[in-house]
Amino acid sequence: MSIAVPWIIKYRPKNLSQYVNQEEAKAFLSAWIKEWLRGGTPSKKAVLLHGPPGVGKTALAEALAGEFGLQIVEMNASDFRRKSDIEKVAMIASKARSFDGKPKIVLLDEVDGLSGKEDLGGVEAIIDVIKNTKNPIIMTANNAYANQLRTIRTMNEVVLIELKELHQKDVLEVLRRICEAEKIFCDDKALKTIHERNKGDLRSCINDLESIGRTYGKVTLDLVEKLLPYRDRELDPFETLRSIFFAKYTWQAKSAAMHSQLDFDTLLQWINENIPVQLTEPENIYQAYEALSRADVHKGRIIKSGSWDLLSYANDLSTAGVSLVAKKEKLKWIKYSFPAMIKMLAETKASREKLLSAAEKIARNVHVSRRTALAEFIPLIRVIYRLDRNKAAYIMKSLNISPDEAVVITGEQEARELLEKKLSELAALAKKREKTEKTSKPESKGYKPAGQSRESSSKHSRQRTLF
Amino acid sequence: MSTELEYVLWAEKYRPKSLDEVVNQAETVQRLKKFIQDGNVPHMLFAGPPGTGKTTVALAFAHDLYGPDYQRYILELNASDERGIDVIRTKVKEFARTMIVGKVPFKLIILDEADNLTADAQQALRRMMELFTPTSRFILIANYPSKIIEPIQSRTAVFRFTPLKKEDVISRLKYIAKNEGVEYDEKALEAIFDISEGDMRKAINILQAAAAGGEVTVEQVYKVVGLAHPREIREMIKLALNGDFLKARDKLRKLMIDYGLSGLDVIKQVHSEIFKSDMDLSEEAKVLIADYAGEIQFRLVEGGDDEIQLNAFLAWLTLLGKKMSIQAQATR
Repeated sequence: MSIAVPWIIKYRPKNLSQYVNQEEAKAFLSAWIKEWLRGGTPSKKAVLLHGPPGVGKTALAEALAGEFGLQIVEMNASDFRRKSDIEKVAMIASKARSFDGKPKIVLLDEVDGLSGKEDLGGVEAIIDVIKNTKNPIIMTANNAYANQLRTIRTMNEVVLIELKELHQKDVLEVLRRICEAEKIFCDDKALKTIHERNKGDLRSCINDLESIGRTYGKVTLDLVEKLLPYRDRELDPFETLRSIFFAKYTWQAKSAAMHSQLDFDTLLQWINENIPVQLTEPENIYQAYEALSRADVHKGRIIKSGSWDLLSYANDLSTAGVSLVAKKEKLKWIKYSFPAMIKMLAETKASREKLLSAAEKIARNVHVSRRTALAEFIPLIRVIYRLDRNKAAYIMKSLNISPDEAVVITGEQEARELLEKKLSELAALAKKREKTEKTSKPESKGYKPAGQSRESSSKHSRQRTLF
Repeated sequence: MSTELEYVLWAEKYRPKSLDEVVNQAETVQRLKKFIQDGNVPHMLFAGPPGTGKTTVALAFAHDLYGPDYQRYILELNASDERGIDVIRTKVKEFARTMIVGKVPFKLIILDEADNLTADAQQALRRMMELFTPTSRFILIANYPSKIIEPIQSRTAVFRFTPLKKEDVISRLKYIAKNEGVEYDEKALEAIFDISEGDMRKAINILQAAAAGGEVTVEQVYKVVGLAHPREIREMIKLALNGDFLKARDKLRKLMIDYGLSGLDVIKQVHSEIFKSDMDLSEEAKVLIADYAGEIQFRLVEGGDDEIQLNAFLAWLTLLGKKMSIQAQATR
């Protein structure tokens, strides 16, 4: 008898066709790898695969490598605390190609395992690796929206791919396939129970199947119910929300928040996003938001005053408060959404930054805050632009606004060319003025006081060149 | 027309450069001039609503104190733009480090929107003020003096700025219009005053926007004020009142992302929008909305999250819309 290989390794998909479901992710990834194989470096240099535990993130990276015969260099992100390891991976990633001319897949596993504070260096190291890589990088994370991943997540080089929770159908297909290969009897009801206990976590399912199948040579409902322990683990965002909205008792809602992967801030954002999706009655939507709003005010006070003992009140309102309202409705089973604001803010980063830099210039010029510049002066310039584009262009020029910024201020693409045109006209004018000034200087010097004459004569010459 | 090349923002162009040019806040100006005469300048707190001349007076004071190249002797900071008191401390430290040679033995630090600092940050500011007194004086500027902690108030000479009087605003607008060669209707200037509520900066901005379209008439004034407000504000209110919370929330996000508006800006604009004459709402509903908008503004000031608080407002508005339509059906 050979040494027993754990089934989780033995039945790992060797290529993409053995990997069940996640068709979109597979299609994107193979197109992406083909781009690398053509020899270039695509603008998207890294992929962040995220999804609940056991959904197959690492397996997908390996199946991809198998499909294209690529070597895989794997590193667990927790190793990013060790300098020598970082340097090793950074070196491999930045080297062009291996001997066969093929790129290597650099796999950074569990990047959300970095803690924001202690591993600041780790996050920066990953960012550096991504920027300098000449090989495709695949990162995995349970929670792509963890705070410490914010910078990585919003990089232009990074694509986020969500792996959806596996359906029962897919899980059962894999489990049956294993049962057949191992030649053991598997009761369908038993497999379904295994799936239920593990909530779409295929890895745990296979481990459970193995633990019973290897010992008893068969897997029946009876055995499963007797032997399988419930696993105690953190709730992912979806489970957290489900437990809060569907809680029978308020303590369940509170405990869901306590056992959630989400930190308090992010949990508020998730609830904020999903209240109007889960609830339908305006009265209830309002009451749930009112509870959330009050929780959020407590949070604001905590930050301002530093009194962390207020946190429990904030917690009560955001969980128990919301779930009490939800009890008034017959709830539907819905798919919860990621907080859209987090996504939108990431996607519109570039244009918002331009708007902010324009606001900064205006703020300095007119001695107001950036907020006032955004709320009062940018709308002013926008209105002037609609009524008299030239005037708006001259104002923007006087504020040193760049043509790119002009586009976000006015909301019009043409503003760029207009401002560029004005700038070059003015430059030409300035040159001309310099010339006329030189020639007109001697004649005016004679009969006018020096200081003033230059100014007035230049004004005249300006008029002449304009008309 | 040669001036078009120098066409700039009027709010800055017509900002009084020296205290002599400041027509309002006569008492304040008088006291400040005395400080300059005596060469004895305390730390100061300028408090009052927006557009009443706090920043202008601070800059004019600096101009009169140091002369035309006053910029070298002042540090302008805006508390709402700086990331925390540590950044402010670093900048102040750097600025106050060097002594200056000249008739005035200290530099001037102007900290605008100081009431945006948390109580802790203000304590740090108080210590800073003491530490740098040998080399610098502070002018703190705030909308709400009550939000400045006691120890700072007691260490500063407090100046209260009041909203500008109608005749002063209008005569200033006339002066600007004349100087810019703008035709105007008297009634239009009154409309500008009504809309700006004694906020000079806002009044000048409205004048400039209206003048960009030619003659300044009452219609033109209302038109540009309408244009300056993102139309999404009204659309958002209407969607919520008609019961479509999700679409209203989409508008809110657009306002916050495309226009870069903060939660406070949005709620204030909502407030001004509902009281417009063409807003089809009962008087009672307007007051109810104003009441809850005020509550939401308070929560935002307390440190609430922009989107969560505004969503709560929209959810409330959706509910109000539903109640109103039920009421309307019952009476019909």
